Amino acid sequence: MTDFVQLVIIGLLAGGIYAVVGVGFGLVWGVLNIVNLAHGALVIVGAYLTWQLFTSFGLDPFLTLPLDAVALFALGYLLQRSLINRIVRAPLLFTFLLTFGVNLIAVNILLLIFKSDFRSVTPSYSGQGMELGSVVIPYVPLASLGVSLLVAAALAFVLNRTRAGLAILAVAADRDAAQLVGIDLRHTYAVTFGLGAACAGVAGGLIAMIQAITPTAGEPYTLQAFVVVILGGLGRVSATVVGGLAFGLIEAFAQSIPGSGSVFANAIAFGLMVLVLVTRPQGLLGRLR
Amino acid sequence: MKFGKLGLLGIALVIAFACGGTSSSGTTTGSTIVLGAPLGLTGSLSKESALTKEGYDLWLDWITKQGGINVNGVKHPVTIKYYDDTSSANQSAVLMQKLITEDKANFLLGPYGSAATATDAAIAEQNQIPMVEANGAAQSIFNQGYKYTFGVLSPANKYLQGVVDMAATLNPKPTTIAMLSADDNFSLEVAQGVIDYAPTKGLQVVLFKKYKNGATNLTAEVQAAKAVNPDIVLNSGHLAEAIAINKAAKEQKLNAKIFAYSVGPSTPDFINSLAADANFVYDGSQWTPQVKYQPQFFYTVAQYVAAYKQKYPTEGDPDYHVAESTAACLALQRAIENAKSLDPTKVRDALAALDVTTFYGQIKFDSRGINIYKPMVVEQIQNGVHHTVYPASVADAQPMYPTPSWDQR
Repeated sequence: MTDFVQLVIIGLLAGGIYAVVGVGFGLVWGVLNIVNLAHGALVIVGAYLTWQLFTSFGLDPFLTLPLDAVALFALGYLLQRSLINRIVRAPLLFTFLLTFGVNLIAVNILLLIFKSDFRSVTPSYSGQGMELGSVVIPYVPLASLGVSLLVAAALAFVLNRTRAGLAILAVAADRDAAQLVGIDLRHTYAVTFGLGAACAGVAGGLIAMIQAITPTAGEPYTLQAFVVVILGGLGRVSATVVGGLAFGLIEAFAQSIPGSGSVFANAIAFGLMVLVLVTRPQGLLGRLR
Repeated sequence: MKFGKLGLLGIALVIAFACGGTSSSGTTTGSTIVLGAPLGLTGSLSKESALTKEGYDLWLDWITKQGGINVNGVKHPVTIKYYDDTSSANQSAVLMQKLITEDKANFLLGPYGSAATATDAAIAEQNQIPMVEANGAAQSIFNQGYKYTFGVLSPANKYLQGVVDMAATLNPKPTTIAMLSADDNFSLEVAQGVIDYAPTKGLQVVLFKKYKNGATNLTAEVQAAKAVNPDIVLNSGHLAEAIAINKAAKEQKLNAKIFAYSVGPSTPDFINSLAADANFVYDGSQWTPQVKYQPQFFYTVAQYVAAYKQKYPTEGDPDYHVAESTAACLALQRAIENAKSLDPTKVRDALAALDVTTFYGQIKFDSRGINIYKPMVVEQIQNGVHHTVYPASVADAQPMYPTPSWDQR
C-alpha cells in the first residue's frame, strides 16, 4: 500500500513539470495552430537562465522563476513578431520546418555559450524531504508542483479575465471576426507566443533543479508536451494540467513494472495517447469545437 | 597555441591545412597521414565526444611536435579530420564512409559510444581500413568477426567487476546488489557482467531493473531499489542517468553501503552538478590520473596530466575518456611504425600483433580486437575529489566505507 501511495506521489510530482511544460505548448498550438517544435529549447533557455542566476549571484532558484518568465515572454514575443508571424497562415509543414529550424539554432547557440557540460542547480535544500511514515515527499518537486499549478491558474486567469487574454480567446475562436472588431492580430499572436514561452521558461527553471541539463535536454520535453496536450485535450488550461498529471502517473506506474517494464514507459504513454485519440479525440477533458 | 585554439573551435578542416603547412623539419618529410573521426560534437553525446576529441587532439599536438609518425625513417605529418555525427550512430556511419571515399582517410579513429562504434566498425570492415577506437566497449561490436576494428579499452562486462572485487574485500562485507541498467547494448553488457560475476564473489543480485536509455526521471526505479534494501546500488548507464539516480536516491532516502555507477562519476560534470551529494560515489574507470604504469613511449602519467592541464586549463584533471582516446592514437601510431608502411592491411596486422605499455596501461588486443589485458580501476569521490581506491597496487586512498546515510552527511 505504501508503495502504491509513494508511486502516486512520484507520478503527481513528475506530472507537475509535464503540466507546466504542456500548458505553454498547448496555448500556442490551440491559438496559433502551430506545433512549436522549439518549445523544448525555450524550456532549456529558462533552465540555463536559472542556472546562471543561481551560479553567478547565488539567487535562490525559485526566486529566478519570475525572471525566467519575463525574459522568455520577451524572447517569445520577439520571436513571434519577427519570425513566426510570417508563417502563421502557411500550411502546417512550414510551421514544422520553421520551428524545427528555430530549435536547431537555439540549441546550437546554447552549445556555443554553455558547451555540452551537464549542469544542475543544487541549492542547500536540494534532495531534502518530509517522511510521512515510509512515504517520502521531497520538497523541491513538491514546490515545483505548486508552482506549476500556480502558473496554470495564472494563465487561466489571464486568458479569461484580462483584455489581452480575451483577445487571445477571440482570435482562437475566429481569427477574421476578431480582426473585424479591431483586435490587433499580430500583437495578439505575439502575446500568445510570449505567454507560451513564459510558461516554458518557468518550467525550465524548475527542471534545472530536478535534473541535469545540457543544451539538448529540451528535446524530450517537446514530445512530452505534445502527448500531454493530446491526453488532456486542446483548448483549456485545466485540461492540459490533467493531461500532465495523468502522464506523470502513467509514467511512474509503467516504470514500476518489474524487470524491463520501465523500458516501455514511453510506449505505454504513447499507446494511451493513441487510445485517447481513437476513443475521445477531444482529449480527457477537452471540448469539441 | 595555434593548434590548441583551432582544436577548441573544432574546425577540423582548418587543422588539416594548418598541420600540412607547419610540419617542416630537417629529416625527410613524407605524405600527410589523414585520420578520420566522426564525433557527436552536437547532440546527446556531445560532452563525451568533446572529451574524446580532447584526447585525440592532445596526441595530435605531441606527434606534430615530433614531426609526425616515423615510417621507415620518413616522418609523416598527421592530420585528424573530424565531422559532427550529431550523436547519431547512422549519421556516424555515413560520415565514416565519406571520410574514406571523399577525404581519403588513411586510418580511422573511433566515434564516441558503442552504438556509433558498432555501425562504424561495419564501414571500416567493408573498406578494409583499420579503425582504432577508444569509446565503444560493448562486446557485441567485437563478436562480429571483424578484422579491422580495435578497441583499446576494457570491454563492457569488466566495467563494474572491479567494484564487485573491491566489495568482497570490505568489512562488514556487503552481500546484496540492486542492479539498475539503461537498455542500450553497452549498459546491458555491463549489467550482465555483474550478474554473472557477483555470485562468484559471494554477492547476490536481488534486483535487476532496466530503464530507457537517456531517461532523466528515474525516481520510480530508485523506489524499486529501495524496496529491496540493498547493500550495493549499481547503475549501468551514462552520465545523465547517473546524475538522475543519485538525485533520486537522495530524495527518496535510498541508503546503501555502496553507490557505484559505470559511467558518469569520473567526469567533472558529475561533481559540478551534484556538489556534496557526489561524495562517496564509486565508479569503474578505465584509467585515473593516479595509476602507476611505466610507459614505453609518449608521456608518463604525470606528464600527460600536465600536458592536458596546459592545453585545457579550465577542465581539471583529464578523465578516462580523454586518456583512452589518446591511447587509441598511440596504438595506431605504434602499429604504423611497426608495420613500416601505410598499407592498411599491414597496419591492421601490426595492430593485431601489438603489445605495448603506455601511460594508459597495456595495449594488446585479443583475437576479437578488444583489449582485455588492461585492468579496470575503481574510483571514489571523496570530499569533491576523485581518488583511486582499488586495486590497492594503484590506489592513492582507502575506500570511505560504508557510505553514511543521507541524513548523516
